[in-house]
Amino acid sequence: MSSMTLNKYQLIIMADDKQVVLERILQVTRYRGFLINGMNAEVNTGNNVATITMSVSSERPISLLIDQINKLIDIKGVKVDNSEVQIQQHSA
Amino acid sequence: MTKSKTLTGGALLFEVLQEHGVQHVFGYPGGAIMPIYDALYDSDVKHFLCRHEQGAAFSAVGYARAAGTVGVCLATSGPGATNLITGLADALADSIPVVAITGQVPTAAMGSDAFQEIDIFGLSLACTKHSFQVTDINELEKVLHQAFEIALEGRHGPVLVDIPKDIQLAEVTQRLDKLSHLKNKVKLPLADISKALDLLTHAKQPILYVGGGVGMANAVEEVRDFAEKTGMPSVSTLKGLGAINPDNENHLGMLGMHGTKAANLAVQQSDLLVVVGARFDDRVTGKLDEFAPNAKVIHFDIDTAEINKRRDADAAILGDLKGNLPLLTTELDIADWQQKLQQMNTDFAWRYDHPGDSIFAPGVLKTVSDLMPSNTCVTTDVGQHQMWAAQHMTFDDPSNFLTSGGMGTMGFGLPAAIGAQISRPHDTVIAVSGDGSIMMNVQELATIKRYQIPVKVVLIDNAKLGMVRQWQDLFFDGRLSETDLSDNPDFVMLAQAFDIKSQLITKKSEVKAAIEEMLDHDGPYLLQVKIDAAENVWPLVPPNTANDKMMESV
Repeated sequence: MSSMTLNKYQLIIMADDKQVVLERILQVTRYRGFLINGMNAEVNTGNNVATITMSVSSERPISLLIDQINKLIDIKGVKVDNSEVQIQQHSA
Repeated sequence: MTKSKTLTGGALLFEVLQEHGVQHVFGYPGGAIMPIYDALYDSDVKHFLCRHEQGAAFSAVGYARAAGTVGVCLATSGPGATNLITGLADALADSIPVVAITGQVPTAAMGSDAFQEIDIFGLSLACTKHSFQVTDINELEKVLHQAFEIALEGRHGPVLVDIPKDIQLAEVTQRLDKLSHLKNKVKLPLADISKALDLLTHAKQPILYVGGGVGMANAVEEVRDFAEKTGMPSVSTLKGLGAINPDNENHLGMLGMHGTKAANLAVQQSDLLVVVGARFDDRVTGKLDEFAPNAKVIHFDIDTAEINKRRDADAAILGDLKGNLPLLTTELDIADWQQKLQQMNTDFAWRYDHPGDSIFAPGVLKTVSDLMPSNTCVTTDVGQHQMWAAQHMTFDDPSNFLTSGGMGTMGFGLPAAIGAQISRPHDTVIAVSGDGSIMMNVQELATIKRYQIPVKVVLIDNAKLGMVRQWQDLFFDGRLSETDLSDNPDFVMLAQAFDIKSQLITKKSEVKAAIEEMLDHDGPYLLQVKIDAAENVWPLVPPNTANDKMMESV
């Protein structure tokens, strides 16, 4: 049995409400090696800015994901909630 | 919005392309892009009909890389669009500015599994820098301007614009006053200049590690100036070749899996890496934990996401290399280190005194390199010939060596050479290919024939998928699985079928005259060079091994 330590993070992403912005975030998150534990997305129709909160976990440092999400054209900003949690995953 | 002239979406596309200086596009027509091809009929933009959309994408890549501009390709919906994907992925991996225009089924039919309908917008997410699908004619012009801006902004990359057929046919009368502007994603500059200067002045054994970003940043002059003034020994990645002046006595050649012995040993012994436009690619580092184990790192890059991605930087300088690198230029007291590496360069110099009459591929490519005119643009496919070209040919600018670096795409070389030749009609363009690779986009010989494009093809033929065969011999107990190509077509006859002059050589004594004949020929030419099928590329750093533990023979 092996175990790996997953760090869990809460991201808050601000994005222009453009086509497929959510799909882009999901694709980058998966490709860069982060599991999505939960998410919520809302749009402010006044300014067409979407706020996406996403709970992710990975062995990898969160800075890798933040930098990649920030590169997406429609992203206005990414913040990470400071309350980091470590969870142990066991596999046979 | 001003200007009142009624245009269809298709006609608007070509007006915007011309506003961005586009003179040439590569493509293939089909049902869902017919209104665009109808507009092309009246346009001054010159279209090159490729014989497969993948060929069109690679020609656009070659055009962009050779000319330092944006390459444009067109394809219809469904299979036309999916055939572009490999080219777009290649452009993404190598940061090449390409704008791909795809036709789409009419908006009313989208999502109905219509004939030749595929969600290319969805498929594009993983293989483009950005993509658009235009569902309102009034958005088309803005989107097209944005596509060009995004392709060239920051780290370059491919952008796809999917345009449904009804949008291509729809009319628009108002035009934008001026080009749109992207929102400015201003970020605080990350510039540890003083820390970097401190690292630099204390280094005894520094190495300048040069990547493809140097050419992209149009910073060849600044990097050469830095290398000359600091006297810092340098190594290049595959895509960085040509950035350092070939006459620089402190240049050690390519590093990495098939890098020179001197380059790899120098990096492993270095105490400081000054990384310019490079990303610690796995083919460069070998076993990452053991790469340059004693070196501090100063990392220059335009892309924040590359800093600390695979190797932590002790000082990071983010932004425009052209402006930033001169800030670090200073004289260094590293004479002993220079002398040691110059000696290594001499001790480990390539040898071309291969015994026997058979043709030694490195010798052929060295001869091509010696005989080709200055400012020749060389493209390659992928495999042994690619590594031999990188090792044994000399390039005086990164835009003169076009090879699929990140994606390693067989089939790249021939269509990329077509694009390069069209963008630089007065320069010689040579495609170095292999007998496996050339068959991947061999249909582009028809494009060469149609437009009489004077590309020279040097076909290194070992009747094998040589690189895979080499690995099967070395790492899979010689179990040669599906790498024999002894039933290849007659390449000389094949070239002649496309009205391309061709010749086969099999002996070392024929090499020089054949290359001279090829280079002197006024039109396209294919030179088939038969080599020993057992020839390997050396040195080789085995997978997951430190770069100083390279194999040099079996």
